[in-house]
Amino acid sequence: MSTIPPDDTMPEGDDFVAAEYVLGVLPEQERRDAVRRIENDPEFARLVANWQRQFDPLNEQFQPVTAPNYLKGQVDQRLFGIDSGRVATGASFWNSLAFWRTVAVAALALVIFNVSREYVQRQAGSAPSQLIASMASDTGPLRSVAIFDDKSRKLKVTLVAGEIPQGKSLELWLIAGKDAPVSLGVLKSPKITEFAVSTPVAAKLRDGTTLAISVEPVGGSPSGAPTGAVVAAGSVSSI
Amino acid sequence: MTPEGISELISRVALRDRAAFDVLYSSTSAKLFGVCLRILGNRSEAEDALQDIYVKIWNKADRFAVSDTSPISWLVAIARNHSIDVLRARKPAAAELEKAVGVAEPSPNPEQSAIASGETKRINECLDQLDTDRASAVRGAYLNGESYDLLAIRHRVPLNTMRTWLRRSLMKLKECLER
Repeated sequence: MSTIPPDDTMPEGDDFVAAEYVLGVLPEQERRDAVRRIENDPEFARLVANWQRQFDPLNEQFQPVTAPNYLKGQVDQRLFGIDSGRVATGASFWNSLAFWRTVAVAALALVIFNVSREYVQRQAGSAPSQLIASMASDTGPLRSVAIFDDKSRKLKVTLVAGEIPQGKSLELWLIAGKDAPVSLGVLKSPKITEFAVSTPVAAKLRDGTTLAISVEPVGGSPSGAPTGAVVAAGSVSSI
Repeated sequence: MTPEGISELISRVALRDRAAFDVLYSSTSAKLFGVCLRILGNRSEAEDALQDIYVKIWNKADRFAVSDTSPISWLVAIARNHSIDVLRARKPAAAELEKAVGVAEPSPNPEQSAIASGETKRINECLDQLDTDRASAVRGAYLNGESYDLLAIRHRVPLNTMRTWLRRSLMKLKECLER
């Protein structure tokens, strides 16, 4: 380590205090004083914001680490006092959506958000009874989210990454336990396709059931069983 | 995740939309947990901090609209500042001083530098114009939450010398960034 030249002239001024606050080097009390000034002194707050903007690009170096499932339940508990039942199912839901955290380029989120907003508006106030599945594969670019509304018996599916291949169809399958895959139909649009689900099939649509998407000839598999590559799959969770 | 997507989520959280909050959590918690872990250095404190951070995000979401910053920067700033507050509030500071002796100085990971975006490149270029010691002190402070006390011990100089030294580095850094 090289020696640090002693220097007795310390540069002074609010701009340095602002920079020190952003860097995080200040001791506890000075840090608290700075926070108070940010609240009450717009000029100081502006200096802090300027420094923060300069350092923001370093944020890229914070590597994402998946947080434990139960934390979100505890946050909800603190904010909304949600009972433990909701917390428990919530936890398994977040667990199954590990891909949400790992997909780096989630231009997806907006789409997911629009879909989820739609179902949430519908359930406003009532007990949640939604099933959701995120389908992906380790090898391909295709990612899809499916949301089932128990009341309307509609399964809504959207592609959040990838597209329907030229001259082919993407077909959605339900796989319950060791049963043979059941076709739910082909995706009509990369945006949102609504599948009507019959009562017997809906009964199979529950936690742990797999949804999968395969590439098929236009219009869907001629045989009633998947014939092409499975390009995305995921299990159903309740929220 | 697009910045527009996160912005919209935060705006909806400000309107008390819990579904938006769920999606915001699922799409940003890994990044923020990474911030907590790096600064606090242990999981149990990082987990507590992450909870506090999302409670804050819920409560402060209405401030995002007037903050004139990118949404992910806004979120990371909340996480960083909270983690540093927790770090500073530790009593006694023994754990932190231990870290000063035990932990190697942070250096830019070559892989990360290589893939860094233009903006990151810019701040790294400016940091690289400082002496190595000084650049690593600035990086260590920002990324690991190191305090003046800890930096002074590591560099074996009096506190005031450390402060002078860092402020001078910040002055140079600013000149370079504004060039």
